[in-house]
Amino acid sequence: MFDLKSEVKKLVHAGQKDLAAQLILRNLNPEEDFTSHLTKWNLLKRNPPEAKLQKVKLAIVSTSTANHLVDFLKMYFYRAGFEAEIFLTEFRTVEQSVLNATSSLYEFNPDILWLDNNFQDLQFPSNDEKAAIRLGDNLSRWSALWESIQKNSSAYIIQNNIAAPFTRSFGSLDSIESQGRLNFVRSFNQLLASKAIKGVTLFDMEYLSSLVGKKHWFAERYWYHSKHAFNLEYVGIVSSQLVQLVTAIKGKSKKCLVLDLDNTLWGGVIGDDGVQGIKLGNGAHGEAFVDFQRYILELKNRGVILAVCSKNDEANAQSPFLTHPDMQIKLEDISCFVANWNNKADNIRHIAATLDIGLDSFVFVDDNPVERNIVRTMLPEVAVPEMTEDPADYIRILEFQNYFDMISFSDEDRDRSSMYRSNVERKELSQKFTDISDFLIDLNMKSTVGNLDNFYLQRITQLINKSNQFNLTTKRYTEAEMLKVMEDNQYQCRYYKLVDKFGDNGLISVVILKDSGECGLEIDTWVMSCRVLSRGMEDFVLDDLVAVAKARKAKKLIGHYIPTAKNKLVEKHYSQLGFKLFNEDQGTTQWQLELDTLTESKNKFILRESAT
Amino acid sequence: MNEQRNNYFKRLNDIFVDVFDDESIKLEDGTSAEDIEEWDSLMHISLMVATEKEFNLKLNAMEVSQLQNVGQMVDLLLKKTGIN
Repeated sequence: MFDLKSEVKKLVHAGQKDLAAQLILRNLNPEEDFTSHLTKWNLLKRNPPEAKLQKVKLAIVSTSTANHLVDFLKMYFYRAGFEAEIFLTEFRTVEQSVLNATSSLYEFNPDILWLDNNFQDLQFPSNDEKAAIRLGDNLSRWSALWESIQKNSSAYIIQNNIAAPFTRSFGSLDSIESQGRLNFVRSFNQLLASKAIKGVTLFDMEYLSSLVGKKHWFAERYWYHSKHAFNLEYVGIVSSQLVQLVTAIKGKSKKCLVLDLDNTLWGGVIGDDGVQGIKLGNGAHGEAFVDFQRYILELKNRGVILAVCSKNDEANAQSPFLTHPDMQIKLEDISCFVANWNNKADNIRHIAATLDIGLDSFVFVDDNPVERNIVRTMLPEVAVPEMTEDPADYIRILEFQNYFDMISFSDEDRDRSSMYRSNVERKELSQKFTDISDFLIDLNMKSTVGNLDNFYLQRITQLINKSNQFNLTTKRYTEAEMLKVMEDNQYQCRYYKLVDKFGDNGLISVVILKDSGECGLEIDTWVMSCRVLSRGMEDFVLDDLVAVAKARKAKKLIGHYIPTAKNKLVEKHYSQLGFKLFNEDQGTTQWQLELDTLTESKNKFILRESAT
Repeated sequence: MNEQRNNYFKRLNDIFVDVFDDESIKLEDGTSAEDIEEWDSLMHISLMVATEKEFNLKLNAMEVSQLQNVGQMVDLLLKKTGIN
């Protein structure tokens, strides 16, 4: 099991303090409780990030006890790329600090000032008072403070709205009756939003309290004991959201959402399943993908730039955008569309260069944990949310991160996407590959190899018949035919399973070999799941085939590539493995590999687990 | 009973080590806020929150304010979890 403390210790021991800090920050989770945050802070304060970060000076002027937020805010500021200096005014000295031009608050000279209030600050109307008058009184307390702050400093002001309490003395009538508390708080929040002046932005505490659930948000005993306005278990949510807002004020919010396609925007694999076979529109999964696409369009409509980064042939990748009736996102919504078989870190670099925006403005969404970790490892500036396997979760995962927070909205935001799109000149994707050996070694891959047996007969037959992209000959076999292959000595069928540090990929490749006379061994069929592409599996399989061929006293391996509409991916497969072309006929190519010319094995990254 | 008490004592000690980030802390019955330099009112709250989580219970302000030392804290936890 992953133990953050011991992993951090190891890195610190190895002198990699900055990596230790990055590891702690990557493992921050706003939804975790107070104690978990405290543990992480205790680790981080001894190994703070060493990189030079942008400074931010935040003053907290609170009517409740906010001391516990300070360390956790610093931690989330680090994660967002800021080094924060935080000043907290003395308990209950809001007016004394703000109205006095020579107070220690102004001496601190904050660039952001957070006015943190709660419902206990509100003066509610008594029975014979008009609610409207009381609303005005309450507002003027805070608007007077804004004016004073703006007179005495150049700090940008963050003002809470009020988290409405759960008590309703009027019961259901509470949200209707003008004397009702709920109605009053809601009206106050509306008024506050409409009266906020330039340089003041709202921090929606009411939303956060509803998100958590008011039953949990409020912990009265902590109010009575130590004047904490909300349950300390939610320090993570409040800190991370406040930091997102400051990030937006500083103009550092994320700008571009990079999307994978297969199992991210639709269910299934377009290259194998085809436009009619992918899950989109109908069924539980199909509906979830449609709603996720609609959510993405909402983001796009308020200024988020969309890009696609997919391991696919471009024509395949674009086909649903062009012809699927339930596809919500259209090609013109995508500012930069990249579909190829290069590694995704390089592709995201290419997208960043094409759109001319910094890598730290990117969020990358992919259902595949291996792709996510390639990008996390190679491009630490890119935000990569941890996804689940259920598309029903996708919206909430993005929503709660609030990557694209903003403090104003203009026509320019609305049109940003088309602006970027028109700016894009489709530059040739640079073929500069980053060395990913370190990553592949770190994947800790192990492969189990065996000959076709009854146990795997069904899965092997299924893989042979389902694979379209990584399939050299696209020959199909029934289970009965495979049984014959199993019994006929002229044939040998090999299967390969793959496990890596993220889990078991299952049985992912199958090869059928056949004696072809003249001491040749022919590769009748070679299929592989595209999920494990570009991870050295092809080399590993070739080494095994060479070993099998030698054991069968063969002198050469012979391979064919028979082109179909879907297998362009493996057109150069044999040439990449060092085979020599010896025949070509209407696109079909024939290749051979002389075994006695081979001296060393090709595999570098995959451990052979066991063999039969 | 004594075994339970020792068990609670050990768990409480672990909480103190985590909260104060100090491996050297060894609690005794008589240990109080006087003995640990960093034990201020803020740390006190952190201790409460961590203790509530570890023992899966809620402490009220009244109970906590009456405690003189760690021994009494353990006794309170034993009482609240129905062991004594």
